[in-house]
Amino acid sequence: MPILNSVYRHREAGHVLTELVAYRAAGGFAAIEQSIGEMEPDDLLYVFHRSGLRGRGGAGFPMGRKASFLPKDAKLAKYVVCNADESEPGTFKDREIIEMNPFQLIEGMVLAGYAIGADRGYIYIRGEYEHQARVLDAALIAAREAGFLGDNILRSDFSYDITLYRGAGAYICGEETGLLESLEGKRGQPRLKPPFPAVAGLYSSPTLINNVETLSALPPIVTQGADWYAALGPEKSPGTKIFSVSGHVQRPGNYEVVLGETTLRELIYEHAGGLREGHQVKAVWVGGSSVPVLGAMHLDTPLDYESLNAAGTFLGSGGCIVMDDSGCIVRATLRLASFYRHESCGKCTPCREGTNWMERILQRMVDGEGRMEDLELLESLFGRISGKVLCALADGAVAPVASAIKMFREDFVAAVTDGGTPRPAPMSVVEVR
Amino acid sequence: MADYAPVDLAADNLVTFELNGRTVSAPAGTMLVDAAYAAGVEIPIFCYEPRLGPPIGACRMCLVEIEGMRGLQTACSTPVTEDMVVRTNSPMAKDAQDGVLEMLLAQHPLDCPVCDKGGECPLQDRTFKFGPGKSRFIEPKRHFPKPIELSSRIALDRERCISCFRCVRFSQDVAQDGQLTMQERGARSEITTFTGDAYEARFSGNITDICPVGALTSIPYRFVARPWDITNTPSVCGSCPVGCNTELTTRDGELKRITGRDTPNVAVEEGWLCDKGRWGYDIAMSPNRLSAPVVREAVGDRTVSIEDGVAAAASLLTGRRVGILLGGAVTLEEAGIALDLATNGTLDNAVVARLGVASGNCAPVRAATGAQLGDIDAADLVVIVGGDPAAQQPIVELRVRKARRFGARVIGCGARPHALESLGDFTRTAPGHLADGMMGLADAISNAARPVVLWDEADLASDPGAIAALTALLAASPHATQLMLGADVNGVGLSALGVSTTGLFEAIAADEVDAVICVHADPLEAAGSIAWQAVFDGFRGPVIAIATYASAMTERADLVLPALTMWEQEGTLVSMTHRAQRLRPGAAGPAQAAAGWELLIAIAHHLGHPPAYRTAASAFTHTVASHPAFFGMTTDLIGTDGVVIGAWPADDVSPAAIVADPDHLVLVATRDTFGDDMTARSHALRTAVSAPVLRMHPATAQALWLNEHDHAVLISDVGSSSALPVLCDARVAEGLIVGPLGAPGSPIEGALSRNQHQAIVRVERT
Ligand SMILES: Cc1cc2nc3c(=O)[nH]c(=O)nc-3n(C[C@H](O)[C@H](O)[C@H](O)COP(=O)(O)O)c2cc1C
Ligand code: SF4
Ligand code: SF4
Ligand code: SF4
Ligand code: FES
Repeated sequence: MPILNSVYRHREAGHVLTELVAYRAAGGFAAIEQSIGEMEPDDLLYVFHRSGLRGRGGAGFPMGRKASFLPKDAKLAKYVVCNADESEPGTFKDREIIEMNPFQLIEGMVLAGYAIGADRGYIYIRGEYEHQARVLDAALIAAREAGFLGDNILRSDFSYDITLYRGAGAYICGEETGLLESLEGKRGQPRLKPPFPAVAGLYSSPTLINNVETLSALPPIVTQGADWYAALGPEKSPGTKIFSVSGHVQRPGNYEVVLGETTLRELIYEHAGGLREGHQVKAVWVGGSSVPVLGAMHLDTPLDYESLNAAGTFLGSGGCIVMDDSGCIVRATLRLASFYRHESCGKCTPCREGTNWMERILQRMVDGEGRMEDLELLESLFGRISGKVLCALADGAVAPVASAIKMFREDFVAAVTDGGTPRPAPMSVVEVR
Repeated sequence: MADYAPVDLAADNLVTFELNGRTVSAPAGTMLVDAAYAAGVEIPIFCYEPRLGPPIGACRMCLVEIEGMRGLQTACSTPVTEDMVVRTNSPMAKDAQDGVLEMLLAQHPLDCPVCDKGGECPLQDRTFKFGPGKSRFIEPKRHFPKPIELSSRIALDRERCISCFRCVRFSQDVAQDGQLTMQERGARSEITTFTGDAYEARFSGNITDICPVGALTSIPYRFVARPWDITNTPSVCGSCPVGCNTELTTRDGELKRITGRDTPNVAVEEGWLCDKGRWGYDIAMSPNRLSAPVVREAVGDRTVSIEDGVAAAASLLTGRRVGILLGGAVTLEEAGIALDLATNGTLDNAVVARLGVASGNCAPVRAATGAQLGDIDAADLVVIVGGDPAAQQPIVELRVRKARRFGARVIGCGARPHALESLGDFTRTAPGHLADGMMGLADAISNAARPVVLWDEADLASDPGAIAALTALLAASPHATQLMLGADVNGVGLSALGVSTTGLFEAIAADEVDAVICVHADPLEAAGSIAWQAVFDGFRGPVIAIATYASAMTERADLVLPALTMWEQEGTLVSMTHRAQRLRPGAAGPAQAAAGWELLIAIAHHLGHPPAYRTAASAFTHTVASHPAFFGMTTDLIGTDGVVIGAWPADDVSPAAIVADPDHLVLVATRDTFGDDMTARSHALRTAVSAPVLRMHPATAQALWLNEHDHAVLISDVGSSSALPVLCDARVAEGLIVGPLGAPGSPIEGALSRNQHQAIVRVERT
């Protein structure tokens, strides 16, 4: 059950690293010094590749592979975009990185930029992260003054700077192409792929887009070596991963663990302090809200990509939402359905109409107006939404509903036969407009 | 509208693939939806509209199964490749179509019985063909205030919208007016303008054509007719020299609507129309429409029947030496008959002339390879020499914007600032000095692979140096093509028939003519109106006006014969790109009016010289096809898509060159399609009218002690203009004044010489 604070260097240091000197004292910028102007960009890229690091934003795509898709000889400018939109329900890991250890993200972005020969980096930070944006802005200024950003970084030939851009409050702007549209000043709506961002991304230029945690994982990989990282946890997808634990636990918070070496039970009961006295786990959304829900029988699943897939869910963003037996799964599912209805961008018919339809049906069930055939109706909608659309939001909208009905069918049936669901006292459902 | 892109099955890069078990082919890179359609398989679509740019894959209606690919693919965004195996009717694909349609209809009001789109609605049609039998959606649907006036011409019924984004893409990408957007998210998405103000734009009406449901409808057409009680007739627009191909919707003999054609003419307008061409037809019902012949006598006006009017015309002409003056928009048939009557002995040695710009001196430029508007799409360089295309030939704007979107460079020079200058690099030249501006374009033209040079007829014709320079530029590049931005609606057709702009004025002044017929021509409201007024003041013979609207000349004439409009009559017009195209009637017109060509034939009968032709088609054969540019042409051959005419010997008439110098102010007249007298009389276009102003550089205004909004008159050596407000515009060259040609009351025509669009002027404040 090892904690390994590799991305969370500040936890290792025991204090926040928002001052550049503090970050340096904690070993920061060693990776830049070791590589910029010292290594061939391709060799650095190969380090990323060999580390086995997978994207931590949700999709888990191998980082080095994605970076290698960018054309080498592109005549167009190239960009690194950091996805700091962190809006997946239950996910708050990037926020801590930015708030407490911002230079590690900056360092990671410089490394990524150098490896792909980027002209500029952009950080797209969610609008609500106002304080975090200020911290990051100060860090960017300090890094620039210290020569880690700007023209000829550390007197090398490499010039690169980072622009911070604040989003305006839409979940869909976390989807990479929706983010790029928004970054270009347009309505945040996913693009048709292909072309993928690696070929035609920001302003149609080759673009590497990665999550905050992914990019922040790069400096230790450079200083401690790809082999060190690749040896952490399972062979196929090694490394550390931050889980944000929230819900009915005693000690909610972020925990950076080595993949595969911690089970869900350990995460909840040891790191997060267990549930309230006398309560049992009812449901866990382990990778944010966009993944199939797990139940008590899944608690011994090791936390890594493959094991979670085998258990029928995804590691996702690592936003682990725990609900105990005082919660109502029908209401919780409605709450998630409302979220996706609210956040669907509206571009694709099945997602736009389907998320709305699912919410309406679930609302009727909660209100006691459900019909038995509504369950079949819901089930018939899943396949007509999932995989029929442009982006993964719709799959994410279906997954928690489909899995809840499958795993807790009797609760949904009861909602129909008992004339709705009782409103549980402790868990209030906040209405989204 | 044209939902699927045309596919060239004769191309040499065909690939072969399997479609529902059949082997079919299409050029590599063709989108699967288009390739399938060409092979007779309809894959349903909503958001796909090839004219709007690359597919966006939003509606998900076109999902199909492709072997070897996971899940279903959007056929609108999947190019065909060799040996691809496609199934559009497999259980998986059919379930997806069913599903998407059920979702689309979930919140749709299904108010087809009261919807203007009903009967010609893609959503309705595709639901019948591909959709579920019934809806399982029992929730309340969304409601909006209904309908909203998106503009004074377009109604928006938000609950019918299926969020296909076509209208937004038209506004953002095609017209680039930047006004329409989707607001809110998800199931609450709604179409609106960014500012919340009305969607006022010159191409706005196209969104009513491309909206696949009844969410965007034409207000003038609201509740006017149903698809089963209308007839649609392909015709062309005669409101400017572009000649966009249109479709006229008729009900009970009345014109109810004009739209782009289902099968657009890609060589001309590609299915888009400007709002003038779409909605300007209501002027045919305006109060100053002439509906019965008037005989003007000493005792007063007498309204007579059309038969008596024609008889009166014949008696006025008998034994007199006749002059016929043709307007710039008369059809080939009308001009051909006039020429025929003048030479076949009916009207002995009549003098036939036209109003408009003469550009015979541009023949060397015209001799270079000509382009059609559609050729601009493929250009890598668009050069605009002179002119003001966005105002004078509206659709050209969309074509140039499209080329720019595809990566073409846009450059040019000219005296007048215009809307397309923001697309590239333009240099301002003084009137008469276009050649200076062209020097800077030479390198770009010779380096381009497919340059298209758009040149303004009036600007070039009055600038001999520019003709020489452009001829040389075109000769220097083997790839360059040229396209004239014409001045008069049928200017090319009339000059190809050899109708000159000179001769008649002189003949009247020299007393060589005893009777004048004006056919859709009002010299008293045209450039040189003061001189025309003077010769007509001295003219004692009868004047017959064949006209559609009351004007100065119909007030002056001794006999007025009401004629049909371009929406009511047959005829042929030649566009500025030398394309002969057919007008076909979409309305009956007033009972006591007739087409100009019919009136001329009837007069000939009364004069005892029945011509050998009775119909427009046979008039074409007898009187037009005998001219070199039209050899071998028939109206059948012209068909619905038009035919490019042949060469003709140029006349040597040309306007006087006007060369700017620092000591003089130069007036350059622009005929703004939306600023003319016609637009001003249209009810539908009341919010689209551009007001007549004198546009000048602030420094010019200052030097003249003028402030913005002051009124000023322009005085030239032939006469003066009416007072017009001053508008300062720093993009206008100093020393230049841009004035409105054809504006209501013809304010500046008095300061211009006959057939000129430029003049040296003095300015007086009023
Ligand atoms: C609806 C939706 C929301 C997303 N939100 C985020 C987000 O907030 N942060 C993030 O890093 N990735 C998010 N993603 C994933 C991104 O699309 C993308 O996969 C990720 O930024 C890639 O970075 P990575 O490879 O480093 O994970 C989202 C995806 C979807 C479909
Ligand atoms: S799946 Fe949903 S969120 Fe994603 S692009 Fe389509 S409508 Fe927008
Ligand atoms: S108004 Fe019409 S064209 Fe515009 S998005 Fe809606 S359905 Fe499409
Ligand atoms: S551009 Fe000219 S021809 Fe085309 S619709 Fe407008 S006025 Fe008519
Ligand atoms: S037509 Fe293909 S997605 Fe809309």
